[in-house]
Amino acid sequence: MKIIKQNQKAVEIAVDALAQGKLVFMATETVYIAAVDATNPQAVKKLIAFKNRPFGKPFSVGVTDIEMAEKYVDLNDSARKLYDQFLPGPVTVVSNGKHTVAPGVEAENGTLGIRIPDYKFVTDVVRNFGKPITTTSANASYQRRPYKLDDILDNSSEKQKKLIDLMIDAGELPHNEPSTVIDTTLDNPTVLRQGEIKLKDKNEVLSRSEENTQNIGKELWQKYESFAGKRPLIFALEGEMGAGKTQFTKGLARAMGITETVTSPTFSLVEEYQAPHSAFQLQHFDAWRLTDSTEMEALGFLKMVEDKNMVISIEWAERVADIIKKYRDQAVVVWVKIEYPTTVSGQANENERLISWGNL
Amino acid sequence: MKILSIDTSCDETSAAVTDGTKILSNIIWSQASLHSKFGGVMPSLAQRMHEERIDFVVDKAMLNAKTQMINLDAIAVTIGPGLSIALGVGVNKAKELAKKYNKKLIAVNHLEGHVLSPLANDKLQMINAKFPALGLVLSGKNTQLIQVDKIGKYKILAETQDDALGEALDKAARMLGLGYPGGAIFEKMAKFGNPKKYKLPVPMVGQESRMMFSYSGLKTAMLRLVKSEEPLDKQKIYDLAACFQDVAFKHIERVLRFAIVNCKLKIGNLLVGGGVAANIEIRKRLRKLGKEFNIKVHFPYSRKLYGDNAGMIGIAASFKYQRGEFVDPEEIDRNPRARLNI
Repeated sequence: MKIIKQNQKAVEIAVDALAQGKLVFMATETVYIAAVDATNPQAVKKLIAFKNRPFGKPFSVGVTDIEMAEKYVDLNDSARKLYDQFLPGPVTVVSNGKHTVAPGVEAENGTLGIRIPDYKFVTDVVRNFGKPITTTSANASYQRRPYKLDDILDNSSEKQKKLIDLMIDAGELPHNEPSTVIDTTLDNPTVLRQGEIKLKDKNEVLSRSEENTQNIGKELWQKYESFAGKRPLIFALEGEMGAGKTQFTKGLARAMGITETVTSPTFSLVEEYQAPHSAFQLQHFDAWRLTDSTEMEALGFLKMVEDKNMVISIEWAERVADIIKKYRDQAVVVWVKIEYPTTVSGQANENERLISWGNL
Repeated sequence: MKILSIDTSCDETSAAVTDGTKILSNIIWSQASLHSKFGGVMPSLAQRMHEERIDFVVDKAMLNAKTQMINLDAIAVTIGPGLSIALGVGVNKAKELAKKYNKKLIAVNHLEGHVLSPLANDKLQMINAKFPALGLVLSGKNTQLIQVDKIGKYKILAETQDDALGEALDKAARMLGLGYPGGAIFEKMAKFGNPKKYKLPVPMVGQESRMMFSYSGLKTAMLRLVKSEEPLDKQKIYDLAACFQDVAFKHIERVLRFAIVNCKLKIGNLLVGGGVAANIEIRKRLRKLGKEFNIKVHFPYSRKLYGDNAGMIGIAASFKYQRGEFVDPEEIDRNPRARLNI
């Protein structure tokens, strides 16, 4: 192990060491990092051994700018915005990887966290090296945050110390928090693959309040109640966050005679309510956290659409439109779209919603 | 009294061994801890099914506690509330183990676990003198204010009508382009912001007597505000996060204050649990409120006890064991909509 002072000459030494697959410790604006060539499988193996953590736990990598990032990840609009707003800086942006780094750097699901350090020494090293380096913190898993080289050495075993090739000493760093990791992969437009929703008939009404939206839920129940018990009823709800999908379902539930409080199923994925004076059951789904419609099957959707007494309300229905379409003959599917209206001036009352519906 | 507890109520698979209220091991397998630096990664439902990792988690909990099945007095499991298919995995495992090793079986409400999580490693005698108390559960799924007459007897005083506090924070984070779930990131961003920069409505202000929490109106107001401020830059994101967090927490404070002022019982203690209770700002505010009314505010001693975990289930189970509240392995069933009015 060699320890040298951080200066302009050290850039070259660090680049040489990285090129030889060595494990190099250096400072950033957050903590000391353990850097290896992120495209070199042997070097990454060495890093995994030092960090003493199971294979499959990903490492973030450092690049110099957004152009360099795009060689390794696909950036969606959310990611681009974050690069623009926060980078360079202590933020790691997770995107879908292009699988051009060494095994073990990307997460098991193929995502990769990228960071552009706001620290000249590191960006000089990466620029001269021309390849991304790992920017994982220089402590072994579960050990204290490394703000000086002694923090690392005092908490490393002899075996670990043997793995360290080069340490670049920048003294004690200010005690800043490690970088914040932001995952942008959930914002990928899965919706686009679902194709367009075509309704047989279309009705439209303006809601002026949450109560109004609940009442529309109630009215739609009254309109379709005659089908209940003969065929399963699906209310497929499409609308932005805060549009009132849960409010609609509250009204629907109340009309069915359900007195329990209907709350957002975002976390629980599906909530079940039994109507007290009938055989009808309400299943309230939220597809927001589902990655695709096979997950609807895992939640028991197939069994539900076999049940004539079932009333199914699905928030973020556009995310699972394919499985809903599949059952449009077996079930009565009412597609409900809740939108924020825009007036000529572009300004609308913040409580107003345009609610349209029709049969699928 | 050693108990092995299992919790598979939602995304996390967890098993713990407790001895009374002492946590001997508390293993939590979540996508978040597996990729701890990548806390925002959304596990797919298949990975949330718990089946493939339940055995590993149980074995590890036993190993870390240096305990063998023969030394256990009982097995406890969360029966609800939670995601039905997820709960089923834990309940089946607990049932199987109870039958195989001929152990007593204890069914625990997940929310009772959160309420009692601050009692971990505490001295029971000290605690028992401290009731009636108030319990506050702030998590991604639940926002509940609970009257704890004594351990084992609860009454829900207020709960959310739509989104839970953690869920509201997650969704607001998403509006700011911070990914989902982003509650923890949100807290970091809010630290750098000015909570007075923008005006957002405190939910149900003046209607505290209705004793409910609601975040749908605030969520909508936030969405409008974010849209009107676009394009966002770093400072705007900090300020918007600070404002939203401030107002979201004020709502909790106001309802809690109303409950304390109007409570006919003499309340000396507040037990706070759930993932959002790990937020430093809310802790500060709750402590301050407690001080004003001479109420001691208790939080779990370890970060692991905040989010979903089996350790807290073990604590609740230890009291049930003392009361002799066991269930027949043939009759135990999950209850995805279990309530805490006992």
